[in-house]
Amino acid sequence: MPEISYLEAIRQALWQEMKRDERVFLLGEDIGRYGGAFGLTHGMLDEFGPERVRETPISEATIVATAIGASLLGMRPVAEIMFMDFILLSLDQLANQAAKMHFMFGGRTTVPMVVRMPGGSGSGAASQHSQSLESVLMHFPGLKVVNPSTPYDAKGLMLASLRDPNPVCFVEHKILYKTKGEVPEGDYTIPIGVAEIKRPGRDITVVANNIMVMKTLNVAQKLSKEGIEVEIIDPRTLLPLDTKTIIDSVKRTGRLLVVHEACQTGGWAGEVIASVVGSPAFDYVDAPVRRLGGKDIPIPYNRGLEIFAIPQETDIEQEIRALVGGTV
Amino acid sequence: MPVPFIMPKFDMDQEKATIISWSKKEGDFVKFDESVLTVETEKVAIDVPAPASGTLAGIRFKDGDVVPVTKVIAYILKEGETFADLPKADLLPAPSKPEITPVSQPVPVPQTASVNATPIAIRMAKEEGVNLSKVPASGDRVTREDVERFIANQKTIGRVTVPATPSARRVARESGIALEMVAGSGPRGRVQSADVLATVKSVPSPAVTNEREAEVIPLTSIRRTIAERMQQSFQESPHIALTVDVDMTEAENARKRFNLQAEKMGQPRITITALIIKVVAWALVRNPYINASFHGDSILLWKDVNIGVATAVPQGLVVPILKCVDHLGIGEINLHLIELADKARDNKLRLEDVQGGTFTISNLGMFGIRQFRAVINPPESAILAVGSVVRRPIVVDDQDRVEVRPMLSLTLSADHRVIDGIVAARFLADLVAGLESPAMLLY
Repeated sequence: MPEISYLEAIRQALWQEMKRDERVFLLGEDIGRYGGAFGLTHGMLDEFGPERVRETPISEATIVATAIGASLLGMRPVAEIMFMDFILLSLDQLANQAAKMHFMFGGRTTVPMVVRMPGGSGSGAASQHSQSLESVLMHFPGLKVVNPSTPYDAKGLMLASLRDPNPVCFVEHKILYKTKGEVPEGDYTIPIGVAEIKRPGRDITVVANNIMVMKTLNVAQKLSKEGIEVEIIDPRTLLPLDTKTIIDSVKRTGRLLVVHEACQTGGWAGEVIASVVGSPAFDYVDAPVRRLGGKDIPIPYNRGLEIFAIPQETDIEQEIRALVGGTV
Repeated sequence: MPVPFIMPKFDMDQEKATIISWSKKEGDFVKFDESVLTVETEKVAIDVPAPASGTLAGIRFKDGDVVPVTKVIAYILKEGETFADLPKADLLPAPSKPEITPVSQPVPVPQTASVNATPIAIRMAKEEGVNLSKVPASGDRVTREDVERFIANQKTIGRVTVPATPSARRVARESGIALEMVAGSGPRGRVQSADVLATVKSVPSPAVTNEREAEVIPLTSIRRTIAERMQQSFQESPHIALTVDVDMTEAENARKRFNLQAEKMGQPRITITALIIKVVAWALVRNPYINASFHGDSILLWKDVNIGVATAVPQGLVVPILKCVDHLGIGEINLHLIELADKARDNKLRLEDVQGGTFTISNLGMFGIRQFRAVINPPESAILAVGSVVRRPIVVDDQDRVEVRPMLSLTLSADHRVIDGIVAARFLADLVAGLESPAMLLY
C-alpha cells in the first residue's frame, strides 16, 4: 500500500470523487491558482477547470450559503474554510439553515454538502487561527462532525462524507497534514459515526481525537514497557458519537481519560464522560473519570506558551499514571 | 488548617500497622515529637510521635485497628483552631463501626405507648413512618416541631458512608460483602474493586467454620509475618541439616572463669548462649559462605557479622540482632543479649534492633530439647539450632575410655543454593574446635 500524507489522502479522495461524480465541486478562498492556504487543492484547477474549482470572495457566510443553495439544487459542494476559526462567520448559515432544512421540510429535501476546515494549534498562527472548535459544532443536531486522525481514516471518511445526504463538517488538523500513513489507492469508505480502537489495552481507556491520538499512542508505547496497557479509542466522528465502543471499553478497563486539544471547558470530553457515567459502564468505573483538555486561554503566539496551552505527551503520561496508579 | 496526623511508614516494604494503644486521647494537648500512640508493624512495636504541637482531635481509629500507611489517623489543632476546622469527611465515625441510616424507604414502625408525645406529633410520625422513640424531644414531650426537625435531618444525612468506586460497589453487591468491612487502598481510603476482591478471598467460607467448632484466632501482624517468612523460606531455599556433638567441658570451664571476672566487674553472669554466640561469630569470620545471602544471580558475602537470637515473646517470636559480634568481647555480648531480651519482653524493640541479621541462633536447650532442626530466617542462608547440654557417657580417647561429659548437640540448617554440605561441615568443625577448646579463638 502506498504511503501518503494526510493532506494528500484528502486531496486523493476529492480528486477521485470529482472524477466519479460530476455533481461534486469545490469552492473557497484561494483554492484555485494558489492551491489553497495549505496546498490541499493544488493542481485541481488545472484538472477540473474553474467551473468545478471556484474561487470565492473573502466571506465565509457567502461560501457556506452558496454551498447550501447548490446542494439544494442537486449539487454536491465541498466548501473550504481556510482556518476553522472562520467557521464562526458562517455559523448562521451552517447551524440555522444547513443543519435544519432536512427536518424543516419533513425529510423531503437533503443538503448534501461538506465543509472542510483545518483546526488546531502548533503552527504559530496565534489565537484567531489555531482554535479547535469541534465542540461548538457538536451542539447542532443535523450536522455531522467528522475528525480523522490518520491518512487512512481521512480518505475513507472524506469519501463517506461526500456521499452523505446531509451537511458534514470535516475537521482537519494543520499539524497532521504532513503525517504519513498507508492509504489504499482505490475507493473505500469508513462509516460516519463509528469509532476505532487504535490500540487495545487492559488498564485504562483513553479517548482522544486527531493529533492527540498520535500523542497518546507514543505515551502508550512507553508505558507498555512498564506493563501499563493503554487502550486508545479514536471516535473519528464526534457527531454522532460512537458511545457504545467507548462504554464497552470502559467496562473492560474500569478507567477513563478523555484527551482533546479543544479548550477543556465545554469541550467534548464532558460529553464522553457524561455518556459513560450515565451508562451501564458506571458500575465498572474503578477510578475517577478524568479529562485533559487544552487550557482555557486563547492560543498564545509565543511558541513556548503555545505548547503549554495544549496537552503534551508528558501531561497525558502523568494523567494516565495517576489514574492507573490510584493516586487520584 | 489542622495538621493531619498520618500513619507513618517505618519500613520500605511496610503497608500497614496495627494501633496497639493511644497514650493520648481526643482533646489532649500534645507537644511536637511527643509519643502519642503505639503501633505494631510486622516486625516491632513503635511509638509514634506527634507531627506538631497542638490539640489532638478527630481520632479516626481505635486500638486494634489495622491502618494502611499514610492514612490520616487524627489531626492536630493549632492555636485558635476548633473541631469545626476539621475536614468534614473525617468527622464521620471510623469505618470500623459505620452507622447506616436508611432514608429511602421509611418502614412504618409501631408506635410504642411509652413515648411521651403530643397527639399531633403521634399522628405526623405515623403518616411519615417515623419511629417516635428515635425522635429527641426538645421539651418534656415530643412535639410536632421535633418530628419535623427529625424528618428534615433524616433527609440531609448522606446515603454514602464509605467512599468507594462504582466498580467496588458492584463487586461488593455481587459478592455479598458489606463495603464497611473493606479497607480501602485508594486515595483517602477509597475502596476499589481489588480491595473488595481481596476481602472476598480472605473471608473464610462459612461451610468450613460451621462443620467443626473451633476458636478462631485472627492472625496478628507478627504471626502473619512469621507464617509468610517461614513458608517462603521452606519453599524457596532447599534446606540441608547437619548435626554435631560437642564436648562442652572446656567451654564450661571457660564460662566459670568468665563468671569470676564478671563478678569482679559487677556484671551479670555469662550465659551459655553468649558463649556460643562468641564462638559462632569467630567461626562465621572463618567461613564467609555461612554469613551470606542468596541474591538472584549472585551471592552476597556480608562484611558484618550480625547474629540474631530467636527470642520467644508472648505474641510469638522475634529475632533481635547483635551487630558486628565479631568485634565484641563476651562480656559485651552478654550485656547486649540481656538488654535485647528485656526490650523484646517489654515490646520495646526498635526497627534497627531487628534488621540486618546475617545469621540466626535458635536455642531450645532450656526446655530439654536435645536436638532439632530450625527453619532458615530469610534472607539469611543458615541457622544454628542449639540443644540442651546433657551430661552423658562418651568415649573420650582411642583406648575406649568412657567418661561422663557435658554434651551439646548443634544442628546447622543451611540453604543448599549457597552452602554445600562440605562448607557447612567445615563451619561446624570450627564451632566444635572453638567450643571444645575456647583458647583456639586466640589463634
